[in-house]
Amino acid sequence: MAKDVKPTRKNLMQIEDRIELSERGHDTLEKKRDGLIMEFMDILDQAQDVREDLDDSYDRAQRAINMARAMDGDVAVRGAAAALKEHPELTTQSKNIMGVVVPQIESSKVKKNLDERGYGVLGTSARIDEAADAYEELLEQIILAAEVETAMKKMLEEIETTKRRVNALEFKLLPDLRENQEYIEQKLEEQEREEIFRMKKIKAKKEAEERAEREEEEEEVEAVAADD
Amino acid sequence: MNTLTEQNQGASNYEYVIARIRSRQASLFDDDDYRKLVRMGTAEIARFMEETEYESEMNALGSRYSGVDLVEYALNRNLAKHFDDLLEWCDGRLYDLVARYLRKFDAWNVKTILRGLYSGADREEIEDDLIRAGEFSDRELEQLLAAEEIAEVVDVLSNTMFEEELTAALEDYEDTGTLVALENAADRAFYETLLAGLPTNVESDSATGLYLEFLRGEVDFRNLRNALRIARSGADIDPSEYFIDGGRLFDAEEMNQLVGSLDQLVEHIRESTYGEDLDDALDDLADADALIEFEHALDAALLEYADRLSNRYPLSVCPVLSYILAKEREVDNIRAIARGREAGLEPDAIEQELVIL
Repeated sequence: MAKDVKPTRKNLMQIEDRIELSERGHDTLEKKRDGLIMEFMDILDQAQDVREDLDDSYDRAQRAINMARAMDGDVAVRGAAAALKEHPELTTQSKNIMGVVVPQIESSKVKKNLDERGYGVLGTSARIDEAADAYEELLEQIILAAEVETAMKKMLEEIETTKRRVNALEFKLLPDLRENQEYIEQKLEEQEREEIFRMKKIKAKKEAEERAEREEEEEEVEAVAADD
Repeated sequence: MNTLTEQNQGASNYEYVIARIRSRQASLFDDDDYRKLVRMGTAEIARFMEETEYESEMNALGSRYSGVDLVEYALNRNLAKHFDDLLEWCDGRLYDLVARYLRKFDAWNVKTILRGLYSGADREEIEDDLIRAGEFSDRELEQLLAAEEIAEVVDVLSNTMFEEELTAALEDYEDTGTLVALENAADRAFYETLLAGLPTNVESDSATGLYLEFLRGEVDFRNLRNALRIARSGADIDPSEYFIDGGRLFDAEEMNQLVGSLDQLVEHIRESTYGEDLDDALDDLADADALIEFEHALDAALLEYADRLSNRYPLSVCPVLSYILAKEREVDNIRAIARGREAGLEPDAIEQELVIL
């Protein structure tokens, strides 16, 4: 990598700028990652509670429907379910948590009154009511779980991406840039040393030439004086 | 379509019918059979059923259904066969008294067809869910099954006990698009005709008195279930819409008042003739959150009334009704055991929570 870089002062300045920018980016991303992890931990707690509630609701709903199927028969339970055509409505909006867009699910017509479930009251039992009630509650819990768990998944993806970016900066980009910087600095120092050496050489040569010239002149002067 | 046949004219044939049902009664499951069943797995239950009264239905339906569904459909078909036979045997006044009760299966079939059409189920699915135990003949049920729209079903049911109620409810269905009114109308038509035309001033200890007591109990307990369900639901529902006339527990106005306060309702039941039978269940109702236990207690109490019918008047409608209820109880119990085992319930839990012996 370092060998690909031309060891020029311009490049060194550019690399120094990039190092400064990357360090700033690294700090910002680290802060973002830590912030996301904190938000994620909050959502995780919420998701755990929702999951527990969901499990409880599922058990309750299963118990209720098992009881209804046992006492009233599967045919009666299916018949009561067939009397309902209106489905719950779901609308999704989005909210922003530290730059992560997570869904917000609004549901309506999930919980229904006794006279809104489609089946007649006169020919059915409380067991069917309880099964319907328990499943309505379960559906609400599923919707809530879907919202929280999708938010959690998106947060996790974002944390993973941010972590990869932080690691890339910390363990790849910044070390490479620093290596390049060091390489250029070394090269430039070397060039400087060579330059100084060359200058010294030139200076010495020039001085030697001047000295030789002076000696020649002196010899000439002495020869003229001897002739006279 | 006309459900009033000439069969209910003329003299009753109690001796013949009772002799026939005695032999059928002998083949009903006893306590030992239930004890065996609750300890079996679902496959074992199906196998056990193949060696009993239900053999022909299990074999006939075996190619289309399996497991507990097979058991349930076989139970329904067997129940229908027995009750259909019973209506065939009965003549005169006896026919009328038996048919009154069995018309609840006509209401069931009407609701099943309405629900099937409403949900877009295919004809075969609807047909499978019918219980041909009521007064409708196969031809009449075919006519209903051939209907393509709900209004057509109501039209086919003109000149039956369902006509008036269903015609009125059809408007509601067309306005709201929900089946609630039609379903309630079908059930209301059954309950309205259950006691209609029966003498009101009979001795309570006579055969007709005991029969009436049972039917009134059925109406009262239906009103009671509905009052409690409405009270518990907290929904803004007019209780009088669900009141069925003919019971002794309360009139429409009382029901309207009592639905507003569960405590008053419970107190009213305690002070009624059913108070003693339902005392424990009412205590539980105040504590527990669910109505299921209470409904279970109501079912058990109703069957206690039914037990009183069995032996006191050997040549009356009482033993016939007692047989009908015993057969229904058997079907309910076997289904409850099979479904309970399917859901993984322990034998003790099934015995306590599901089976009514």
